Amino acid sequence: MPSKYSLLKESWNMILMYALALIMIFVLTFHLLLVSPLTGRTFDQLLNYNYVLQNLTYYRIVFGLLLYAAVIHGLNGLRIVLIEWLHVKRFQWAVNVIIVILMAILLAFGTYTLIVL
Amino acid sequence: MKVRIRRFDGQKEWWQDYEVDAKPSDTVLDVLNRIREKQDHTLAFRQSCQMGSCGSCGMVINGLPALACQTRIGELKTESIRLEPLYNYKVIKDLVVDLNDFVNKHRSVKPWMIRKNPEELEEAPTEFKVTPEQNLTFVQFDYCIMCGICLAACPTVAIDPLFLGPQALGQAYRYIADPRDEGFEERIDILDDSHGVWRCHFAGACSYVCPKGVDPAKAIQYLKKDILKYRLLHKKKASTKPAELVQKAPPPNAPKPPPFDFKVEGGV
Amino acid sequence: MGEEKKEKRYKSGLLRSLWPYNFNVERYTYTLHRITGVILILYLMAHVFEIYHVALGPVAWEQTMALLGSLGIWEKIGLWIIAGSALYHGANGFRLILNEVFGMLLGKPVLPEYPYTPTSLSRNQKIAIYLIVLVVEALWIWAGIYLLWGLGII
Repeated sequence: MPSKYSLLKESWNMILMYALALIMIFVLTFHLLLVSPLTGRTFDQLLNYNYVLQNLTYYRIVFGLLLYAAVIHGLNGLRIVLIEWLHVKRFQWAVNVIIVILMAILLAFGTYTLIVL
Repeated sequence: MKVRIRRFDGQKEWWQDYEVDAKPSDTVLDVLNRIREKQDHTLAFRQSCQMGSCGSCGMVINGLPALACQTRIGELKTESIRLEPLYNYKVIKDLVVDLNDFVNKHRSVKPWMIRKNPEELEEAPTEFKVTPEQNLTFVQFDYCIMCGICLAACPTVAIDPLFLGPQALGQAYRYIADPRDEGFEERIDILDDSHGVWRCHFAGACSYVCPKGVDPAKAIQYLKKDILKYRLLHKKKASTKPAELVQKAPPPNAPKPPPFDFKVEGGV
Repeated sequence: MGEEKKEKRYKSGLLRSLWPYNFNVERYTYTLHRITGVILILYLMAHVFEIYHVALGPVAWEQTMALLGSLGIWEKIGLWIIAGSALYHGANGFRLILNEVFGMLLGKPVLPEYPYTPTSLSRNQKIAIYLIVLVVEALWIWAGIYLLWGLGII
């Protein structure tokens, strides 16, 4: 039966998921447009160092928002998949810890990239 | 007609084939009864009412969970029938599954009327009034016969046995939507859990297989909406106040309603 | 309940969960949503590290690009699958938000009458799903043509 003492009510978790999903619909569309043929560039030109650098620095805040939204939404989604699959209690604890560690690593790398540039 | 049945005797599992004469108008349950009477009396399956109102004969027919008494041979449009016990349940014998977890899940969502003042349930002044419009908001989910078919179809139950399942969540919504009920906060403590309502991802398979048209998937989505409303806007499901619920006794000098006419038009 | 896993339940497990054969369209969308989600999170992890090389300077970036370029056509095919995953996951996720948060496309509770067509899986829902499939397919094909163009095939 459901555990009585979950730290965070699952609904807050899902509110976060829905909110980040709605943000990502706009921000990710923008990101995909930047690497789409609508920019008038070929595939190799899009991966040019200067173009990537220019985009990352010019739209720093947008990419920061996307990074945080995508990492939190994505890893939370992965956590949901895993806690359904590995539903034994001690696995759930391990899943939560691994997800938090992964989240910290990815956000650290991403934030570092955006700040240093 | 060839019938393949998944057998289990407590130790080993095997497929067994039977050859039965069957008309297209026969139900799968008729065929099973015929097998048990004429061919193999060790075959185990549940049945009771044979008319789709008890929910005992749920099984997987040609890969789709359904009630055996409501599935006709002619509808299946196949040469042979494949019968299996319900998916995602522990099998006791042959087509009989263990419904203990299922019933416990149902019980855990408190499927009864909760009033803040329990005396109202024990000694109500008069009956609790529900208008036809209010009744329509939950009566669909009240049709559940607890056959357990929805849990056999649910993709989340297939990996997560702790998930409450469409039946329990649907019943929880049936009571939450009821204007006589006041147990919303008490119930969402149970539902809003890591294996509660949010493990439903709206695959809709429960509604697709439900033999009574209960549509548990719809109930669960409404339940999510209500919980989000409660968390974000602190809006509770509108429950009617006790004063409105209690039907007023008619004044003593009110005209009496005309007696009901039992006569059938044109005579019996 | 934690010990549940030891006892065998008939035909339950990951395969049963993801195998939608015989069931309704919504269950296919569920399977796809889950698979595309897992693809996207795996890609995201790699992508964050890929972009991290921008911070290490142009040489490191060119080396990373050369490494990815050595995958040849598989790089483009991989990107195409990821683009499709993102398109589908986003479009279907939007439909799920309409369903779950706003209670749309579900229909009102009704009195069930034979043959019991559930309103939550009825016309509106199907139209939404086919619209998603149509839009996603169109954009995905466009992305595919573009990636092939980048490869110099077209």
